Amino acid sequence: MKNAYVPIPMIVDKIGIEDTAKTLRTFDLRFVNDADCEQFKYLPGQFCEMSILGKGESPFGIASSPTEEGILKFTVNRTGLVTNEIHYLQVGDKVGIRGPLGNWYPVDSFKGENVVIVGGGFAFTTLRSLLIYLLAHRDDYKDITVIYGARNPELFIYKDEIESWKQRSDINLHLTIDNPVDGWVHKVGFVPAVAKEVAPSSENASVVVCGPPIMIKYTIPVLVDLGFSDERIITSLERRMKCGIGKCGRCNIGPEYVCIDGPVFTLEQLKPIPDAF
Amino acid sequence: MIKIEKSKFSVFIQNLVGDFTVFAPVGEGRQSAFDEVADAESVNTALQNTVQSPKSIFFPQTEVLFTYNDGDVQIPEAADKPFFLWGVRACDARSIMLVDKVFGRAKQRPDDPAFEDPYWKAKLDTAVILTLACNEPASTCFCHWTGDGPFEQAGDLWAVDVGSSYLIESLTEKGKAVLERIENASPAGKTEAAEIDSLRTQAESYLGDLVDLSELKDRMKQMWDDPAWDDIAAKCVNCGACAYACPTCHCFDVQDEGKKGKGKRIRLWDACMFPLFTKEASGHNPRGQAADRVRQRFLHKFSYYWDNYGESLCTGCGRCIYVCPVNLDIRTVVKRFLDIDAAV
Repeated sequence: MKNAYVPIPMIVDKIGIEDTAKTLRTFDLRFVNDADCEQFKYLPGQFCEMSILGKGESPFGIASSPTEEGILKFTVNRTGLVTNEIHYLQVGDKVGIRGPLGNWYPVDSFKGENVVIVGGGFAFTTLRSLLIYLLAHRDDYKDITVIYGARNPELFIYKDEIESWKQRSDINLHLTIDNPVDGWVHKVGFVPAVAKEVAPSSENASVVVCGPPIMIKYTIPVLVDLGFSDERIITSLERRMKCGIGKCGRCNIGPEYVCIDGPVFTLEQLKPIPDAF
Repeated sequence: MIKIEKSKFSVFIQNLVGDFTVFAPVGEGRQSAFDEVADAESVNTALQNTVQSPKSIFFPQTEVLFTYNDGDVQIPEAADKPFFLWGVRACDARSIMLVDKVFGRAKQRPDDPAFEDPYWKAKLDTAVILTLACNEPASTCFCHWTGDGPFEQAGDLWAVDVGSSYLIESLTEKGKAVLERIENASPAGKTEAAEIDSLRTQAESYLGDLVDLSELKDRMKQMWDDPAWDDIAAKCVNCGACAYACPTCHCFDVQDEGKKGKGKRIRLWDACMFPLFTKEASGHNPRGQAADRVRQRFLHKFSYYWDNYGESLCTGCGRCIYVCPVNLDIRTVVKRFLDIDAAV
C-alpha cells in the first residue's frame, strides 16, 4: 500500500532569489527516482508538503506547470521554522515532497473560454503554473487577462518571466503596485480597484483569484459586479496543514477540508461558509 | 448466540492470547483504560466504561510514522498479531467506525489508496472487536440521543453479561471465526432472549430524557454569531481534555524528533481547543478566539461531520462530561442550541 506520509526524495536543482531582501526564493526540484517522476501527475492549483527531515513539513502551491517536465518549482517565503530551513538549502541538497495534494483549477472547463487571472504578492505561484499551462495550450483558450499586484515593484515574483509576458500580444497583462514609485509605468492601486478599472468582460469567461485573504475578500464583490457568476469565480485558499490528506483535521473551513476538498474552491462552494476568508 | 459460564472466561481469553494481542478494560477510576492483557485475571469486568477510550489502540497518542537516518526512511513494522478487543461498549465500537470514515479511504478520493491512513487501517482491518452490552449506563451517558444505545449491536461480536455467564453472538465473519474456537459453550435459547430483553429495559431506564438531535446540524450553523458561543467560551479553559478523552476526536499533529540527520517523524493527538492548532507562520489565526474554537468543536461534532457523513460525530459516551475540569456538559450545550431550557 502506498504510504502517503512518506516523502518522495528530491534534489535541489536550481535556486532563484526573487527579492533583494532574500525572503522569497524559488526552488526547482528534480526527482531522485525516475519512477517517482513518472507517477507524479498534477495540474495547476495543486500543492505539495515540502519536508525537511528533522524540522518538519509545510504546504506550498506547485509553481511549475505540468508542461514543464522533470522539475517541480516552489516559491517559499521565509517565515517560520521549516521555511527558514528551506532557505538554507543549496543546489544538490536532498529534500522530500509529498503530493500532489488537493484539487486543481478546472483547466478543462476553461477550454474555449476567456480566462482572467487575478493575483497578489507571492501568492502568484499556482497562478504562474496556470498561466504557463494555458500558454502551452494557447489554442485551447481565448483571451487571457492577467491582473497582478504587489506592494512595490520589488515584490513581484518571476520578474524575468513577467518581462517576457509583457512582450506577448496574446496576454492582456496589467501590473499594479500599492503606492507610486519613480520609474513605474504601470498601474498604481490595490488589486480590487485595478480589477474594477480594467473591467475584464465576464462574457464566456472564468476568473481565478489568488492572493492574501484580504485581497480575495475585496476583489470578489468587484468580480460579482462585473457579472461573473458564482461558479465561475474560482479561488485558492490556505490554512495551516499537517497531513494534507484529509485526516489531521486542522485545515477545515466549515465541512470542507482545504487540503482535500480544496485548495481550489468556487465562490458558489464558499458562500454557505461563514468564515472562509 | 452461545452461552459461556463466567468460570470459563479465563479459558476464553487464554485461547485467544496465542493468536491475538488481547486488549480489555483494566485499572480503576481515572486510570481505567483499555490495555494489553495476558490473562483474564487482569481484566476489570466491573467497570461501567474506561475513562480512556479504546481509540488509542488503533490511533495511539504518539505514533512513529517513520524513522530516518541520513535520508533513509524506514516505516515501522506492522504488529505481528491481529488485535482482539474484549468488552468495548457499543458507543466506543461505533466511534471507531465513525473515525474509520475519515481515516479510511477518503470519500473525496474513493479510487486512490494513497488517501487512506495506512497505520490506522493496518491495525483496524485485522482486529476483532467484542462489544459488551451496558447493563448499567453511567449518569454521564446519553447514547440514546445519538442513535446509539446500551444494547446496540456493534463490532464483530456482541456479548451480554447475564450474571453467571456471558451470552455471545457473532455479527461478522471475523467474529464468527472467533466464536467457533470456543469449546464447551451451550447454545442460548428463549430463556436467554427474555433475559436480554429484561436487562435492556433496565439499562435504558438509567438513561435520562431523550433529545432529538436532527435539527441541531442546521441550528448550530444558523446560530453562528449567537452569544451562546461566548458564554460557553467564557467557561471553557481550552484544556483539550474533552478531545483527548473523546473516542471520536481524531485530530493530530505531526512533529519530527531528533537531529537533522537522524530521528523519527511522529504523530501526536492534537485538539481544536488549542490556539496553536490553526495558527499560521504569518501570525494569522483563523480561529484566534476561544469562542471560535469551542464553536469549531461542537460544529464538527454535530454539523460538519453530519454534512459529510450523514450522522453526528458523537456517540454519547459522556467522557467529555466526566473529565471536564469546569463541568462543561455537552448535553447542556446541545440543549441550549435546541432551545430546550438549559443554562450553560
